[in-house]
Amino acid sequence: MEKKMRPKIIQQLRYLTIKNFKSMIREVSQLVWIFGYPLVFILLFRFGYGLEVFNIFAPGVIILAPIVLISQLAGHFAEEKESGTLQRLVTTPVSRSTVLLSGLFSQLIVAAVQIVVMLLLTLLFGVSINPNANIFLLFFIPFLVAFTSLGFGLILASVVRTASSAGGLAWFIILPLQFLGGLLTAPLLDFIPTALAAEAMGAVMIYGSTAFDPIGLNLILIAIWGIGLILLGILLFRRKTAIL
Amino acid sequence: MEIAIETHNLKKYFDEIHAVDGIDLQIPKGSLFGVLGPNGAGKTTIIRMLSTILHPTDGTATVLGFDIKKEALEIKKRIGVCPQELVLYPRLTARENIHLIAQMHGMAKKDYKERTDDLLGKMNLLDRANSLVKGFSGGMKRRVNVLMAVIHEPELLFFDEPTAGLDPQSRRVVWDFIRDFQERECTIILTTHNMEEADDLSDELVIIDHGKIISQGTPDELKGKLGEGDILEFKIKEIEQRNEIIERAKSLEFVRWGKPVGKHRIVLNALDGLRRVSEIMEVIKVKMEDISVRKNTLEDVFIDITGRRLRD
Repeated sequence: MEKKMRPKIIQQLRYLTIKNFKSMIREVSQLVWIFGYPLVFILLFRFGYGLEVFNIFAPGVIILAPIVLISQLAGHFAEEKESGTLQRLVTTPVSRSTVLLSGLFSQLIVAAVQIVVMLLLTLLFGVSINPNANIFLLFFIPFLVAFTSLGFGLILASVVRTASSAGGLAWFIILPLQFLGGLLTAPLLDFIPTALAAEAMGAVMIYGSTAFDPIGLNLILIAIWGIGLILLGILLFRRKTAIL
Repeated sequence: MEIAIETHNLKKYFDEIHAVDGIDLQIPKGSLFGVLGPNGAGKTTIIRMLSTILHPTDGTATVLGFDIKKEALEIKKRIGVCPQELVLYPRLTARENIHLIAQMHGMAKKDYKERTDDLLGKMNLLDRANSLVKGFSGGMKRRVNVLMAVIHEPELLFFDEPTAGLDPQSRRVVWDFIRDFQERECTIILTTHNMEEADDLSDELVIIDHGKIISQGTPDELKGKLGEGDILEFKIKEIEQRNEIIERAKSLEFVRWGKPVGKHRIVLNALDGLRRVSEIMEVIKVKMEDISVRKNTLEDVFIDITGRRLRD
């Protein structure tokens, strides 16, 4: 029996990620939130303000998409804590780190799908993209923002007790990131990840730029934000769910 | 005798609360060992420490020969834990919930698929195997909760109040299931506050209260400690005179002991109590609301030691 049953971390990670996906896609409200929130702004700008305004704000709206993952990830881990499933899982030979990584992986896959869908929708609704725009950067910039969102989500999941409070408190992060970062208005704090990403996205999408400043520099700064937030989130989450 | 679990002076304190306060246990391999006690006695805390998800404040413990502090992973590979709460993924099906635990243990796909269907059949859940658990009744969820603990055929199983909230019919299904596991020489630790469950299933048991073991033995040994008399339980109106009434009863040579229980009751142990109820009534002179006469139960053992019911 023991020979047959040798749990491998990669397999555990795969099965947990699949489990997370199944749980997510079977909850319609989560799908509506993930795709619906950015879609509302696409429709608003395109049909409310017209194509000219839509062209200006499309980069910010695409950056908006991965920001919603903050509440998604925080809700996911808060639910695992609240329902006791996290504790049940760790009575099996799976580590807390593997459970944590599976949550991050599944959200990153969601982010990738979400960004592609939002890019395709903006194109479908007639946004003008500079012919010299680098397609990879159009995907990579919002994807990097997804990392910072996961960091914020983990930190939030560490401090809340329930999934519903995670969902509510997430707005205190999402809205400042959205408005102070200038995704839908002029930026007020140009050092926060959303402001850095919106500037880089606009440069690529509208001007077809590949210059180090703002693109390369901003990407490095967003990556620093992302790594810092995720490390802090992991540290806090592990501490809050540690064996006492 | 091979030992499955051994603890020495095991303690767990949460600030001022002594949840587990110096427990010494030796549980033989292959036995079904009951841990009986009221809510808050420390039963779940013991299980959580032995299943390595809670560190003891003091003391030592080995599970299947592995130290709970230093060799947690080795223990986790060999145990199954059925928590008291219904810990399931509501948006997964019954089958997916069970598969997930098998996958975490690294079971081969073919093995866990076959075994899951077999187990679901035994728990009368096969026709709902592909339904999302969120639509299940409490009893069905409880049965899936049990199956998640046993899918990987662990050497040692912890059942923490496995039948809490179940109807009598479902409770019987779970009891039969647990007995079936015991026949396969799996060691089982069963916590319960249900004396019938502890009496019916356990080879040996401990009764704990306020984090301490207050009695230990086989169910028959524990009940035997109370003597061979019958248990007479009275509900009386003169509650302020309960101690005097008990003293009067104890003046009869065939009354072995008496205790006040709850707010209105008196429990007496009397030899040949059924035939001598009228004699007792004559001596104690009370206005009774009801009376019952029965054989000793584990609850009477608990009452004898603590003066309280398990449910109090």
